[in-house]
Amino acid sequence: MKAVVLAAGKGTRLGPFTVSQPKVMIEVANKPILEYVVDSLVGNGIRDIVMVVGYKKEKIMSHFEDGGEFGAEIEYVTQSKQLGTAHALHTAKDCVDDDFIMLPGDNVIDKTTVSDLTEKKKGISVVITESEYPSKYGVVVLSGGNITKIVEKPEEEVSNLISTAICSFEPSVFDKLASLMKEGKYNITDLIQILVSEAKVKGIFTTGMWADAVYPWDILKVNSTALDKLTEEKGGTVESGATLKGPVVVGEGSIIRSGSYISGPVAIGKGCEIGPNVCIYPSTSIGNNARIGPFSVVEHSVLMSDVSLGPGSHLSNSVVGPGCLFSSRFSATSGSTVFIHEGETHELASVGTFIGEDSVIGGGVVADPGAIIGARSRISSLAKLSGRLPNDSIVV
Amino acid sequence: MCGIVGYTGYRRAQPILLDSLKKLEYRGYDSAGIAVYGEEIELHKDKGEIAHLEATLPKIEGNVGIAHTRWATHGKPSRKNAHPFLDCKKSIALIHNGIVENYMEIKEKLVEEGHEFVSDTDTEVVVHLLEKYYEGDMGKAMLRALKDIEGSYSFVAINSNEKGTIVVARRESPLILGKGNDENFVASDIPALLKETNKVMQLHDGEVAVVTPKSIRIFDLDGNGIEREWETITWSVEDAEKGGFEHFMLKEIYETPETIHNTLLGRVSALEFAPTLHNDFSSVKMVACGTSYHAAMTGKYIFEQIANIPTTVELASEYRYSSRARERPLTILISQSGETIDTLGASREAKLRGCPVLAITNYMGSSLAREVGERNVLYTRAGIEIGVAATKTFTAQLIALYLAALQLASQRHSKTLDEIRRMAEELRTLPRVAWGILGNATKIRDLAKKYHEVRDAYFIGRGLNYPVSLEGALKLKEISYIHGEGYAAGELKHGPLALLSEEVLVVAVAVQDHTYPKMLGNIREVNARNSPILGIGYEDDEELHRYVDDVLYVPTVSNIFSPVPVSIALQLFAYYVAKERGCEIDKPRHLAKTVTVE
Repeated sequence: MKAVVLAAGKGTRLGPFTVSQPKVMIEVANKPILEYVVDSLVGNGIRDIVMVVGYKKEKIMSHFEDGGEFGAEIEYVTQSKQLGTAHALHTAKDCVDDDFIMLPGDNVIDKTTVSDLTEKKKGISVVITESEYPSKYGVVVLSGGNITKIVEKPEEEVSNLISTAICSFEPSVFDKLASLMKEGKYNITDLIQILVSEAKVKGIFTTGMWADAVYPWDILKVNSTALDKLTEEKGGTVESGATLKGPVVVGEGSIIRSGSYISGPVAIGKGCEIGPNVCIYPSTSIGNNARIGPFSVVEHSVLMSDVSLGPGSHLSNSVVGPGCLFSSRFSATSGSTVFIHEGETHELASVGTFIGEDSVIGGGVVADPGAIIGARSRISSLAKLSGRLPNDSIVV
Repeated sequence: MCGIVGYTGYRRAQPILLDSLKKLEYRGYDSAGIAVYGEEIELHKDKGEIAHLEATLPKIEGNVGIAHTRWATHGKPSRKNAHPFLDCKKSIALIHNGIVENYMEIKEKLVEEGHEFVSDTDTEVVVHLLEKYYEGDMGKAMLRALKDIEGSYSFVAINSNEKGTIVVARRESPLILGKGNDENFVASDIPALLKETNKVMQLHDGEVAVVTPKSIRIFDLDGNGIEREWETITWSVEDAEKGGFEHFMLKEIYETPETIHNTLLGRVSALEFAPTLHNDFSSVKMVACGTSYHAAMTGKYIFEQIANIPTTVELASEYRYSSRARERPLTILISQSGETIDTLGASREAKLRGCPVLAITNYMGSSLAREVGERNVLYTRAGIEIGVAATKTFTAQLIALYLAALQLASQRHSKTLDEIRRMAEELRTLPRVAWGILGNATKIRDLAKKYHEVRDAYFIGRGLNYPVSLEGALKLKEISYIHGEGYAAGELKHGPLALLSEEVLVVAVAVQDHTYPKMLGNIREVNARNSPILGIGYEDDEELHRYVDDVLYVPTVSNIFSPVPVSIALQLFAYYVAKERGCEIDKPRHLAKTVTVE
């Protein structure tokens, strides 16, 4: 059986983190989100993968190539205009001629999420899961195991069961898609809506992993979900006098210098230099080739590849994009904040700061909880950051 | 310079041989041939690519066979000169990579003895030698024949009197043995075998192997048996596939950031950048060919600036003619494949001269690595490169040179620890710099669209960016077939200025280092001749656009590191120009990836 994975979208609401890479390539626990999807498929013996790519497709292709390294055989189709998820699926039409499953590439899932579908599916089936924030998704109404209705982003509480948009389809779905798009509807939810009204659509509740990132702070949640399954692995050098507790991954060629204290789950990529005397606390991911200077504390954060954090810095509940360079004593402590986006209000209990790729930050900079700094920003020493700064900002 | 494969086992040999051969097409492709032994030896060969051979080939039965893709050295590309060759009795078939230097005298002798030749090649004498010496044991015949032969070679032969046996020999030309279950393989490079097996063994210089479906026996030239362990290759055959990209070259340019990560891995964080170098030299000599030579020339400036040591650069093919003064410079040999015959020769010569050596290569266990000893190798770890035009491996060589220079600087204290750390930290930022350029690919493509119809292109630069200009010109000419030349910008007025016209593009590398004012001066010289100018400058340069027609902006880095972004940008430019012109980007005409002839 083939799987069609939708990986063409940008992930606009993730702001500075999708400036040069699609959402699916954001790394959590040092693996792009899309790799969780591919691994879950391969783990279920599904090796034939049709990947619909579009926005910054080269990032995806140069990571997965033809899939061989991941045990898969990947065929790429390009969606040149990102009109919507249903349109993306339609671009894969010529690659599928039998029953298939379809998955969004931008959710962290595990093997169980896929096996629940492949083992229980019957005709058209949709995987559903519980969500803390059902109002962000398509909420499903069930009757006797079948989906009777799907309510997109309900304002009033309907239920906490949402559609993951992981589905099994028959090839006839492409005719439906064609007529759907003629009506100007381009999303998978629209498709499921129509299918529900016309035929039986089975809802399969999964106990497997499922985590989605819509806004920058969701990356932290996705990251800690992914880190829950971390198994210890030490590829680099741990100097004597460094303490590693709980599941900690240290990538090849990395060095943890003396006096550092790392409490897992923590994933550290390849070629990193940590310490001396650095504390890293749970649910933290550090990408490849990163450097954390002496006397710094990092907790519940994601530092992507090529980040260099200067001495005496403190990062908490924060996400730092690839290539950011901090000189010394950067401070991003967490707290509560309210964030308003396109008329929607988000109350956030405990967030730090979110900094887009390749930003350069001077010494002694302090960031307020919830500050979102655009990519390639230049922040001079002793600045105080708050609110939302666009890409290429210069703060003096 | 050729690709060689052989199979003996229980399956039909033809499809396996053709599949494996295609993986070697980058080694050469002006003619191809196959010999399979079923009832008798059946031979097919023709001029042109492997695909052409495959299309014209009938179905051949037989479980043992050899196949060859050729890049002409002696004798024109033609059907007649394509391998394999047969002896007079048509019972022995042989293929060959390399050169038999004394083939004329052997041929004369064999002709006297009544052997009939059908081609102009050096190879054909070998098959007749085997015929002459064959007394029922191909292994012995090969050992005897090798005593008459001078030159570099890898031979693979089958004999219809010894069904299922392949005999191979190697000297200065790569040959790999592969192990299967009740079947065995030989090939001139690992990618050809990966689909079938990951258990491989290198055959070393001066060794002969007798391969049957169930056994592989290795002998030295005196016929003594040699034992060797199998190695397991961890990269997959898929490494060699394009994975969604239109060309290998583009895919490989996009792999640059990851490549830089790998080259730096574990070397920067530990502040041990390269193998420890002995301190008993007062100068450095770099030796290389082709693109690696351009890396070496850049290396001269890198070493002089970072390690503060006088550095000279030599073409590997010219090295043996250079002075053998009493001085014993550290000799750095650079070869992507580690099989470049000229560089191998130079490494032997350097050792004879008593020079300390360091090799920079991409291939573990390559001839060069073995020649200098593992302790003296700095691997670039760039992974396999299929496109004939070197891209990510060039960048990896630059990174390796920075590492070696930093190692030398820290050993010789030519820079303070603080300065060294700062440079090491900036090295860490280069993967992002590479992404920065790749993010700009559409702009580079637009520039290529604008300029793809020029007749000639001159690439000019000064200092570090002079060799980078040479490399930019090489990339352009090798894949787009536009006449391109690199020049030190100051040399422009000593000749080429006379050639400038509206049909000639000038690409001027003008990053804001100490050469910048002089570069602007050179650009003005060009302005007066109506040639379009494409400037390459830092993204924060607000001045350059006033002097040139277009600017290709690259991320700003410290000047010492400017060759990295500039060369990547020029690679992309060459790629898109070639694409606009509809060229065969991954397999430019007349060129081959690894040059194993002198």
